Amino acid sequence: MSDVIFQAENVVKHFGGVRAVEDVSLTVSAGSIQAVIGPNGAGKSTFFNALSGFYKCDSGKVTFKGIDITASPIHDRIGMGMGRTFQTSSVFPNLSVYDNLLIGLQSAAKLAFRFRPINPVQHKTIEEKAERLLDFVNLRASARRPVAELAHGSQRLCEIAMSLSTDPVLVMLDEPMAGLAHAETTRVVDVIRKLHSELGLTVLFVEHNMRVVLSLAQRIMVLDRGKVLAEGTPAEISANEAVRDAYIGKEVVEHV
Amino acid sequence: MRMGNRAGLITAIVLLVLLMFIPQLAPHLHLAISICTEVLLFAMAAMGVNLLVGYTGVLPFGNAAFFGLGAYGTGLTIQFWHAGFFGSLGYGVLASIIGALLIGPFLLRRRGIYFSLLFIAFGQVFYFLAYRFTDITGGEDGMNFVRPAVEGLGWQLKDESFYYAMLLFFVVVAILFWLLVRSPFGRSLVAIKENETRARYLGLNTDRFIFVAILISAAIEGLAGACYGLSIMFAYPLLLDWHQSGNIVLMTILGGTGTIFGPLLGSLIFVIGNDILSSAIPWWQIPLGALFVACVLGFPKGILGTILDAIERRRGGFAYEARDTMHGTVSSEREIQP
Amino acid sequence: MAHVAPEIFNGLILGAFYAVVAIGLSLIMNLTGTINLAHGSFMTLAGYLAFALVSAGTNWWFALAAAPLLTVIVGIAVERTLIRPLYRRDPVYSLLLTFGLSLIAEEVYRLIWGTNGVPFSPPLALQGAVSLGFTYFPAFRLFIAGALLVIIVALVLFLQRTRLGLRLRAAVQDNEMIAALGTNTQVLYMFNFGLGILIAGVAGVLAACLLGLNPQSGNALLMPAFVTVIVGGMGSLTGAVVGGLLIGVAISVTTLYLPAFSEIVMYVLMAVILLIRPRGLFGEEGIFG
Repeated sequence: MSDVIFQAENVVKHFGGVRAVEDVSLTVSAGSIQAVIGPNGAGKSTFFNALSGFYKCDSGKVTFKGIDITASPIHDRIGMGMGRTFQTSSVFPNLSVYDNLLIGLQSAAKLAFRFRPINPVQHKTIEEKAERLLDFVNLRASARRPVAELAHGSQRLCEIAMSLSTDPVLVMLDEPMAGLAHAETTRVVDVIRKLHSELGLTVLFVEHNMRVVLSLAQRIMVLDRGKVLAEGTPAEISANEAVRDAYIGKEVVEHV
Repeated sequence: MRMGNRAGLITAIVLLVLLMFIPQLAPHLHLAISICTEVLLFAMAAMGVNLLVGYTGVLPFGNAAFFGLGAYGTGLTIQFWHAGFFGSLGYGVLASIIGALLIGPFLLRRRGIYFSLLFIAFGQVFYFLAYRFTDITGGEDGMNFVRPAVEGLGWQLKDESFYYAMLLFFVVVAILFWLLVRSPFGRSLVAIKENETRARYLGLNTDRFIFVAILISAAIEGLAGACYGLSIMFAYPLLLDWHQSGNIVLMTILGGTGTIFGPLLGSLIFVIGNDILSSAIPWWQIPLGALFVACVLGFPKGILGTILDAIERRRGGFAYEARDTMHGTVSSEREIQP
Repeated sequence: MAHVAPEIFNGLILGAFYAVVAIGLSLIMNLTGTINLAHGSFMTLAGYLAFALVSAGTNWWFALAAAPLLTVIVGIAVERTLIRPLYRRDPVYSLLLTFGLSLIAEEVYRLIWGTNGVPFSPPLALQGAVSLGFTYFPAFRLFIAGALLVIIVALVLFLQRTRLGLRLRAAVQDNEMIAALGTNTQVLYMFNFGLGILIAGVAGVLAACLLGLNPQSGNALLMPAFVTVIVGGMGSLTGAVVGGLLIGVAISVTTLYLPAFSEIVMYVLMAVILLIRPRGLFGEEGIFG
């Protein structure tokens, strides 16, 4: 559990004049569940984007499973075992839940770039995997419905299931609670907990909802205006004066 | 297939039978066989465009370059190398694919409207090449050439027999297209159209997929253009111009993107309508332009798409909304994709 | 070498036209994602309206002011009725629609004013040549150079210094934020489109006198304007200006030495720039490159 699976060193990302992420370093141990928090505009999503390959880092290094992935394109990172969800659920809206999972499952089985139909054996394997994913997030009942029709919470769960379809060892969740009603939040929190406890995945998530953060995370990193403000256990962070000041000074959305 | 497999299959068979009897039916409908051939060929071209618009989600305004390259490839090899019937067609397709290989890497660096701008611009490059190199291509006046005989057999295909040859090509391409769309590759393309970012985050190398889609689309259009060249025994620069691109894109949208039979319907309406109109009134460009406008505002999913949606709604099913925001961006590419 | 100088100057003027048209196109593209294939048609419209006004007896200067304004009215009418429904949709539709409009426009011009174009001359005051010391230069070209410069500067000032201009720029960065802040985005889009058409209109009248007026004259400037946007970089005003001037000069100089390649040279330039710097000279980093 103390193996480092993911490491960011001195990551910098600017946009024109804005220093969105300034010299941020992060170490993630395998099998842990860690959170990145901070007031609005702290650079959390930008940081995630830089870590997952959506943005190119201006400088710094990102290492995954001991391999330098700083210059790797997104699809390679996924192939190596990363998965990610977005603040606004990034799914295939007009396709059914099942088909949404299918795309990732096909890709993981290296069958995506293929012109011949999948043979029955491969098909069966994929189907079984899809069913397991559906059960994991409890979306069996909606499997054939277009994702766009589902409630936000279900869409989020579908997205989490999709991020699992490529067999990741590390899952990055960008504000998984964003836009959810309270009842939906519980479902999603349960699933995130299961990612860690049942599947043994490493989970890294950004979140505003402090209750969720404190109840799920083993370690927390606090960003403020692009820089690391503090890092430590939930207890340490709760007690940290500087963290409290940073939040009070800004508009914070707290779901209590 | 949205129509349901059985309904689709029956329609396909009925259509095929109908198409096979066109040479006999045409005179009664006051249609020249050459026009019917033209409908088939533009339907083929529209299928190529359909692959990009309906399944990959990229804007293909510039596609006529591939169509024209096909025609010129055919014409030039007949003129200078005395290529035979199938040989010249092969060279036409090859010319088109080479064109796609050349401009593909440029196009791939961008998405959205920037992609379309690039596509339009590069399309025009080929137009100017055809226009300027008068010694080789005949310039503005185009180049005439003979329709060669079939290699080895020495058959000279004319009118009816040529139509059947084109019908054969059309059916083969249609079947291959149908298979492609249902293949894992085809499904991945649809995913890329729905949400390219998510497709990347599922491990798909979207650049590669889009590039291959462009190549396939170019090949189909190239074949259509090559056949068209053989049909009219003529190749001219306007075949490559963006007006031509616009026409083919219109046929695709008019018939219904993302459907299998849409291109044929769109081509039928456009080619015949255009033919009738242009001989009837000198200002036919006005109703043509109006058709573009009406189609966009009134039938965004095309005629077939609208009908299929109405049927699905009647059945109580969910008629997929044409989620048209391509890649989710309206203004700049820099917006973070959901 | 001295005989290249007038060509370069001509190239700069041509380039300034491309830049101005490119800016108008860019305004519309950046904010709403609409590629306006009818942009050239609006330019031609302004030219014909000016011609009509002058033929009806008005003063050329009045026509120069009035024709673009009339064109803007047409433009806004088009935007509100035909283009607005398309903003939220796949950009292929606005491409098709504006393309259809350009077809209709061309034919209408042909019906009203004939296929071969009409002669439209600058006013007497601007005809003739002006001595520049080392050479004589056509007065009208100097006027155009000045006019285009004024347009560009005025636009830059507008976008950078006025509140409305800032709002426009902010909206390009983030549509939703701007709407949330209370700006009426529909009105903003309409204004933006109108501004783009206004620029096109003025350029159209000037181009009509300099380059000729026929049903397709506006379209002839459209393609170079697209290339200018690509070369200069999407979303960059500086890019449009520098890109336009660069292309204008390149075309003019090539016409002098290698006339057969004068049209292709802008595409060659485009390809070269794209290879070295895919985002264009002053463009911003796209997500994918």
